[in-house]
Amino acid sequence: MPYSGSEEIVKELRRSLCNPNVQADRLRCRNVVLRVIRYMSQGLDVSGLFMEMVKAGATLDIVQKKLVYLYMCTYAALKPNLALLAINTLRKDCTDPNPMVRGLALRSMCSFRMPGISEYIQQPVLNGLRDKASYVRRAAVLGCAKMQTLQGDTEIDGAVVNELYAMLRDPDPIVMVNCLRALEEILKHEGGVVINKPIAHHLLNRMKDLDHWGQSEVLAYLVRYKTRTEDEVFTILNVLDGFLKSSQPNVVMATTKLFLLLSEDFPHVQIDILERVKGPLLAICTSECHELCFLGLCHAREILRSSPGHFSGHYKKFFCMYSEPNYIKYQKMEILRELVNDENVQQILEELQTYCTDVSVELAQMAILNIGRIARTYSERCLVILKGLLGLKQEHITSAVIQTFHDLVWLCPQCTANVCQALPGCEENIQDSEGKQALIWLLGMHGEQVPNAPYILEEFVDSVKMETSAAVKMELITAMVRLFLSRPAECQDVLGRLLYYVIEEELDMAVRDRGLLYYRLLQQGIEEVKRVVCGPKSDPSLDVISGQANEAVSAWSKGFNTLIPIYGREQWDRLTAQKGDSLEILQGSAVKANEIDTKPEQREEMSRDSGSVSLLTSAHLSPEQFEERWTLLEAAKVVTVDWHKDSCPDAIQTAFQFVHIQLVAISRAGVQPWKAYLFAKNETGSLFLIELLTVKGKRDMQITVKQANSNEQLLNNFIAIVKSVIQTLGETKG
Amino acid sequence: MIGGLFIYNHKGEVLISRVYRDDIGRNAVDAFRVNVIHARQQVRSPVTNIARTSFFHVKRSNIWLAAVTKQNVNAAMVFEFLYKMCDVMTSYFGKISEENIKNNFVLIYELLDEILDFGYPQNSETGALKTFITQQGIKSQTKEEQSQITSQVTGQIGWRREGIKYRRNELFLDVLESVNLLMSPQGQVLSAHVSGRVVMKSYLSGMPECKFGMNDKIVIEKQGKGTADESAKSGKQSIAIDDCTFHQCVRLSKFESERSISFIPPDGEYELMRYRTTKDIILPFRVIPLVREVGRTKLEVKVVIKSNFKPSLLAQKIEVRIPTPLNTSGVQVICMKGKAKYKASENAIVWKIKRMAGMKESQISAEIELLPTNDKKKWARPPISMNFEVPFAPSGLKVRYLKVFEPKLNYSDHDVIKWVRYIGRSGIYETRC
Repeated sequence: MPYSGSEEIVKELRRSLCNPNVQADRLRCRNVVLRVIRYMSQGLDVSGLFMEMVKAGATLDIVQKKLVYLYMCTYAALKPNLALLAINTLRKDCTDPNPMVRGLALRSMCSFRMPGISEYIQQPVLNGLRDKASYVRRAAVLGCAKMQTLQGDTEIDGAVVNELYAMLRDPDPIVMVNCLRALEEILKHEGGVVINKPIAHHLLNRMKDLDHWGQSEVLAYLVRYKTRTEDEVFTILNVLDGFLKSSQPNVVMATTKLFLLLSEDFPHVQIDILERVKGPLLAICTSECHELCFLGLCHAREILRSSPGHFSGHYKKFFCMYSEPNYIKYQKMEILRELVNDENVQQILEELQTYCTDVSVELAQMAILNIGRIARTYSERCLVILKGLLGLKQEHITSAVIQTFHDLVWLCPQCTANVCQALPGCEENIQDSEGKQALIWLLGMHGEQVPNAPYILEEFVDSVKMETSAAVKMELITAMVRLFLSRPAECQDVLGRLLYYVIEEELDMAVRDRGLLYYRLLQQGIEEVKRVVCGPKSDPSLDVISGQANEAVSAWSKGFNTLIPIYGREQWDRLTAQKGDSLEILQGSAVKANEIDTKPEQREEMSRDSGSVSLLTSAHLSPEQFEERWTLLEAAKVVTVDWHKDSCPDAIQTAFQFVHIQLVAISRAGVQPWKAYLFAKNETGSLFLIELLTVKGKRDMQITVKQANSNEQLLNNFIAIVKSVIQTLGETKG
Repeated sequence: MIGGLFIYNHKGEVLISRVYRDDIGRNAVDAFRVNVIHARQQVRSPVTNIARTSFFHVKRSNIWLAAVTKQNVNAAMVFEFLYKMCDVMTSYFGKISEENIKNNFVLIYELLDEILDFGYPQNSETGALKTFITQQGIKSQTKEEQSQITSQVTGQIGWRREGIKYRRNELFLDVLESVNLLMSPQGQVLSAHVSGRVVMKSYLSGMPECKFGMNDKIVIEKQGKGTADESAKSGKQSIAIDDCTFHQCVRLSKFESERSISFIPPDGEYELMRYRTTKDIILPFRVIPLVREVGRTKLEVKVVIKSNFKPSLLAQKIEVRIPTPLNTSGVQVICMKGKAKYKASENAIVWKIKRMAGMKESQISAEIELLPTNDKKKWARPPISMNFEVPFAPSGLKVRYLKVFEPKLNYSDHDVIKWVRYIGRSGIYETRC
């Protein structure tokens, strides 16, 4: 456990770093620095060594320099005062004759995450832009972007922007691409880097000098360029044609996207492009790297949305290999189902059939559902296969087949008779509630075609007491009533028993209500029941049955080569629509692992609450500063809450830290009067100071809150959080 | 762009963490561990979204590499980057394992620093990187070394530096192919393709210009126009390449127009080209399975393998893996050649043959006794898979020539020592039974 005993480790490291013998020996010194970095990457807080590390950075040894810079980049935000000391060394390094040292220093300096630093780095960065070594220029260009993110919302420096635009003509290709990236970040609020005609043409000319990272990014920027004339479109298509067959999947994808968007007004060209990209895309789909293969398949599915038969000739490429991970197999099966046509239907179905007996239950069920989808067009062949699968008498297979039947009967009523023949006997092999629901629905709906339907349902009714799923019970009531209408003589008794049980003994309210509903309906007379239960099944104008029409290419081309095809459109929309600080959610999911004794629901509740006040995760206030402010400020609010137990300092600290309230000082457990001091900062810079006080004999806790810039609304929210934390703590231990 | 990069061991302990962007916090490290590495079910997708942060991961042996980002990025690029990272690490310290990563973590931090800046990929060519990485530490650079760095840093050709000198100019050319096959029990080829790589090791002085020729159908036909039946006469077969991709150094424009492959090679080892063929593949082995279920407690398996290449050639490291049901209690194996063993932990009979000449046939028969179970589940019969290595290219690719021109230094094509080697390996080579 690297988190324990950190103080000793830090102390020991400090001793080594300060040891003059170690400092004299280059190798030993480097080894100590190495150990510091090792602890750092394991998550141990070694920020206490900052001073010593800065000293260690003033060395000629480049390896050590690099390590120290890495350390400083990580901890500069925590020790802004000390980091300033390092700046001098770094600035000196920026004028070193060795371009590598210059570049390194510049890059590290720009990566310090502390607010006041920009004034120190501005000059070195500007010098770096004009450095004769491209290595330094690369770092300097990105340095401009880093500077902008550090400064936050301050005004954009027009001179820098102009300089960067001019540097697009830099001879070094990586500098050029970095310029684009930097401009994009700096001008984020103005819509990013502007791609006008001269720039676009310049980029096109430079394309072949770039490495493939650069190529794919430049292609993405070119998407933004608005072409004026038809000729221009075709010129660009011609110039970039070679990249469509590039060796790098990312370049292929980026080119495809650019081409599709450029040729938006020329549908025939788009078809041509899709045809040309078929080969490279298939190569990606059969790649040996599973992840790339998965990406390729996701994108292939996008193309299939507008031209369903696109890969029909190559359907064998989408057969699953035994050793592939399931996520690839799922994608392949869904593609296979889209590719079905008169010629290959037999082969594809045979292939899918072999997956139905796979050891992975999920995969097998998925294969069956996909056969069910094909059955909508080729019902005869598929029904033969599906009925054959029932013969295996396996629970998960039978369940999936029955669910497929359920959907199929609804969408292709002509298969009903065929399906009904297969139903008897299935009830023995179904255990899961989805399967049961589907079977019960089928028996209720088409019971007149299944000779022993009432007796199968009777078995379900007899075991209804053991049934745990409410959905199955509700389905059973509906099915029983339906079957009663078509075969009254055989069902009356069973239905009576079922309704009696449901109304008198059932505990689930929804099931009971459903039972009562049918009971009252039956009281209205049989004609009325028929009118309600056997009404028109669906509105023909809704048109569920016909498959979706082919979508236009433009429906997906904008999302091509992004994360959208991977997550799927719906999930993506959900993700981007989500409100609330994602950091909190992240933390919520992370904390679940390190279980502390509060319940998870309460934990989430707490973190949500803190979202509205949005407290900073890493605020800093030394005990001295705290004391000074505390004496300076008036109490904004004093509240008391119930509290009748011993206070456990650790639990209190963790609980408050979770809502981003930091502890300054706390009494030991059992000391009377017991006190604790805490503080928190929010995004707008408001500071809250808190005192918790319990006195012996009293069964409550007094909370005093002081606020730096008074804001009533904020204060109330904040106090609500504090109270909820205290109450949660009280409940969990009380 | 990439917000951060993490490397974990199989337990989910962080070995390397490097954050490039402020929007990725330290808690992201934990989120991935909890949601993916420690997740109970199988990995659902190589891209996972946790709290609007996307985690892209690849796994190498039992090491997890994860790239994290909050932006809507080009996923292909991120994965390419992770692969590249793996390549670079392998070229520096060999296999990617926990041990190696721990021993080289300084180097890895250095690499991460050079390859990515602010989350954007920078120079990633191994050869060029070598000048920036100081893993051994530079005591004090000589003038020459310094100027070398400068020329590298400002040079136009990213993949080769000036002033390389060798006493012996040598070239090693490896054609490495992997054959992938999926065959039905009846011996019908369901899918087959070869993915190949031409890997070159060049130790050449100066800035040489190379030209590489192979029996590409399009080239042969173009040349054969004048003397129509020449290619037929010489008995050389040409192959149809489905698609091929090249190292950055190859002049693509020349390939497009003339189908000729010319380039200035990087120094040392690199991959010149990658290709795929699907037509006229020589399948080195045929597997003929026969599985008979005798009652509920016995299975009889007979597998014949036939080698299908020139009798003078020898295949090596042949391994046939015949899966057995989970409830196997005992296995008796008889094989004519090699050694066969039932490995209970892997649920398979593994049959190994050291060497086998072409046009031969070998057979194994096994009796598998099963424990009676009340599990009604039928055995899914996973396919029989095979591994081997053969000394020829299953796609039929042949290197016709490799010419070297160096106009400035005085050595000619004849002085260069060239070595060519063909190795065909099995990729996923499966026969259903």
